[in-house]
Amino acid sequence: MTVLDDFTKGDSLLNPWMDEWKKQGKKILGYFCTYIPEEIIHAADILPVRIRAKGCTDTPMGDAYLSPTTCSFTRCCLEMANRKQFDFLDGIISCNSCDQIRRLYDNIRYKTPFSNQYFLSVPSNVNDITIDFFKYELNKFKNYLEKTFNVDITEEKLKNSIELHNKSRTLLKELYLLRKKKNPPITGTDIMNILLSGVSMPKNQFNELLTTQLKEIEGKEGISDDKSRIMLVGSMLDDPEYVKIIEDLGGLIVNDAVCIGTKYFWEIVDENLDPLDALANRYLSRVSCPRMAGEQSKRVDFVLNLIKEFNVDGVIFQRMKFCPFWWAEIFVLRDELKKQGVPFLDLEREYVLSGAGAMKTRVQGFMEVLEGK
Amino acid sequence: MNELRIEEELKEYKKLGRGNWGEGFGLLKGMYNGFITRIRDEAAEMEEEQDEIMPPMKMLLNLLLDLRNARREGRKICMHPFNYGPELLYTMGLVPLMQELFSVGLATTHINEFYLDITNKIGYGDNPTLCNAQRPLIGAYMQKAAPVPDLLFFLSTPCNSLSITYQVFQHITNVPLFNIDIPYWAHEHSSEFYDERIMDYMLSQLKNFIPWLEKQTNRKFEIEKFQETMNLVNQSREYVSDFNELLKTVPCPVPSIAGFGNWLAMTLRGGTSEAVKVTKYIRDQAAERVKEGLGGVEDEKLRIAWPYTHVFFDQELFKWLEEEFQAVTIMDILGFYPVGPHDTSTLEKCYESLALGTLDYSMIGTCRGPVEYFVDFLINWINEYKIDCVIIPMQFACKHAYAMTTLASEIARQETGVPTLVFGCDPYDSREVPSETIRAKISEFLNQIVL
Repeated sequence: MTVLDDFTKGDSLLNPWMDEWKKQGKKILGYFCTYIPEEIIHAADILPVRIRAKGCTDTPMGDAYLSPTTCSFTRCCLEMANRKQFDFLDGIISCNSCDQIRRLYDNIRYKTPFSNQYFLSVPSNVNDITIDFFKYELNKFKNYLEKTFNVDITEEKLKNSIELHNKSRTLLKELYLLRKKKNPPITGTDIMNILLSGVSMPKNQFNELLTTQLKEIEGKEGISDDKSRIMLVGSMLDDPEYVKIIEDLGGLIVNDAVCIGTKYFWEIVDENLDPLDALANRYLSRVSCPRMAGEQSKRVDFVLNLIKEFNVDGVIFQRMKFCPFWWAEIFVLRDELKKQGVPFLDLEREYVLSGAGAMKTRVQGFMEVLEGK
Repeated sequence: MNELRIEEELKEYKKLGRGNWGEGFGLLKGMYNGFITRIRDEAAEMEEEQDEIMPPMKMLLNLLLDLRNARREGRKICMHPFNYGPELLYTMGLVPLMQELFSVGLATTHINEFYLDITNKIGYGDNPTLCNAQRPLIGAYMQKAAPVPDLLFFLSTPCNSLSITYQVFQHITNVPLFNIDIPYWAHEHSSEFYDERIMDYMLSQLKNFIPWLEKQTNRKFEIEKFQETMNLVNQSREYVSDFNELLKTVPCPVPSIAGFGNWLAMTLRGGTSEAVKVTKYIRDQAAERVKEGLGGVEDEKLRIAWPYTHVFFDQELFKWLEEEFQAVTIMDILGFYPVGPHDTSTLEKCYESLALGTLDYSMIGTCRGPVEYFVDFLINWINEYKIDCVIIPMQFACKHAYAMTTLASEIARQETGVPTLVFGCDPYDSREVPSETIRAKISEFLNQIVL
């Protein structure tokens, strides 16, 4: 069994690492967004796990309470919570990532409450005032965890946690940088499995596995069957099968600007600052999601730089249906890519992979365009 | 027909509006002339002839002229959203332009639908994804039918759609933009969601807005002018609060959604003597009718709360409810301006008033935080205003509101027994769900559940 096989376990809702953690009598908290610092949860000796709705098939409750024009990820989450699929969690942490996640939290509180639930108010822009406010919010969050779980989150614990998470980020970046090669040694599908494991297993174990993985592929002959080099940009994506469809059709994902991707790990936390200052700074100032106002040009530059650095042939936008932020963001990005002469494909999708046939046809067409260039 | 007493005044406005208004001002000029026609038509139908144009309509004419004149005279125009009082902008000598003039203002004539189609064509969103309250602006701009403002300002609430559309507009126009983060937590000590930092956070952000405005306008912030503006805005708030109290009277003294004029005054002209005049006028009209024991609807049978926006394209909807069901729609979410008057005796109190006004503004106070802010508002309303039923015509693209109304209706019904009708539509586009369908839904609800 290879390390990559191990990482495929990360795709399931409840994986063996989480099982093992629970057996030790430890707690797991689910969180909704990359703006929630895992470090603080980890410092409380609680496992932070990114909430996903893997296995959701239909959304009657989500449709009724959140409305049929709310994104299918939030509708699936409400459904899964109602069907007790998240019962392995000891609580949930949400924030105002977007209007839909914000209201999902309200509906969960009333219709299918958890014993522990907490909301973090994350500012929508970056300046000294908002960073200071966010630090205050993070401190409140720390106090909540201490009181609720009867733990002491010391400065030392926070520092250790930051160091551990930075290690994880550094390893992931190292892995990503290998994809700059003419023949990258790893597929986008495998990368997604690694990332999904990264957001759902203890970080120390993840770092060990990832270190082994890096050694395994070091010097390994890369993928050389003349595939087009694709960058994936867009909303929350946690389905390796979606990436596999693209790669099976001749596109090799070499980089991304997605939520469980570069936006999760690209920048590290400054270990020389006071921990809460450092976390507030890093989380608000990192490569942002479109929820952050006034940061659009930085996000555009980030995408354009990665296109250049990773020698990307074309960009696939994957946009969750009914997501206002990503429609607008892609509207702007399309404009910029046109100016730069970078081909792109705009795919709308639901959270649950559906309409794979239509998607394949469009991706295939796009690959032909790229091959013809 | 005899010549109306207001004819001279109308002629004067007609004269003032003549000529070329300049690039991007075509729609505003059309709106101006449309208002003049409407004022004349409505005056001709009135039982008692007016001596002068009613203050709310005069305010709209003056606002449009002011925008045109600002561009001619080189004064700066700042575009802002529909849930913000422009007092700070007036303090800085700016001319505010509420962005939703291009949706709310044009929906009655369906002209916005043309610009929505252009927005669709250029690929900026679709209706269930991005709100049509903002989208027509993009199409109108592309057609050079909307003026390019000198400055852009928005708040992170009430919705993502508004916030992101401002940024897209900034991207295509390159106009300087400033935004303020509206926090989730409450500033009221009595709230279970109270957070001691909220007021400071808002104050810091608003004070940080001032140097940006100074830089953009090349003008110093004048404390006296600011205090004067805050005094004026609080005078208006005093009148609006009186009016809101008068709405509790049974029968309701004014016809449906009479409070909408208050929202217009506070959002378009808040902080000016003109807004004071308009809000006083609306209050006085209601007070007079209470004194005389008159109802806005003859033989009032139903009192409706409408805690969302109007169906803007159907201006006859409330009249139809009055005639068919003797139902008065006492409030809508915008028209019920909830900010009370504050103490403005010191400079710091003026800042506090500014911060409170921003946090509690129509659709900000109810939408910026947990669902309880809206639920409490609704339940208080139902109880205090003796409401018989609630109607919520949900805009398909209004994610956060649509995703809380079912829950909120359930809670409100459990606590008050008052039924709610929630249905999806697009208040800005008659082609999505037409008037006939909306009326059929409302009829069914009133006949089968309420009556």
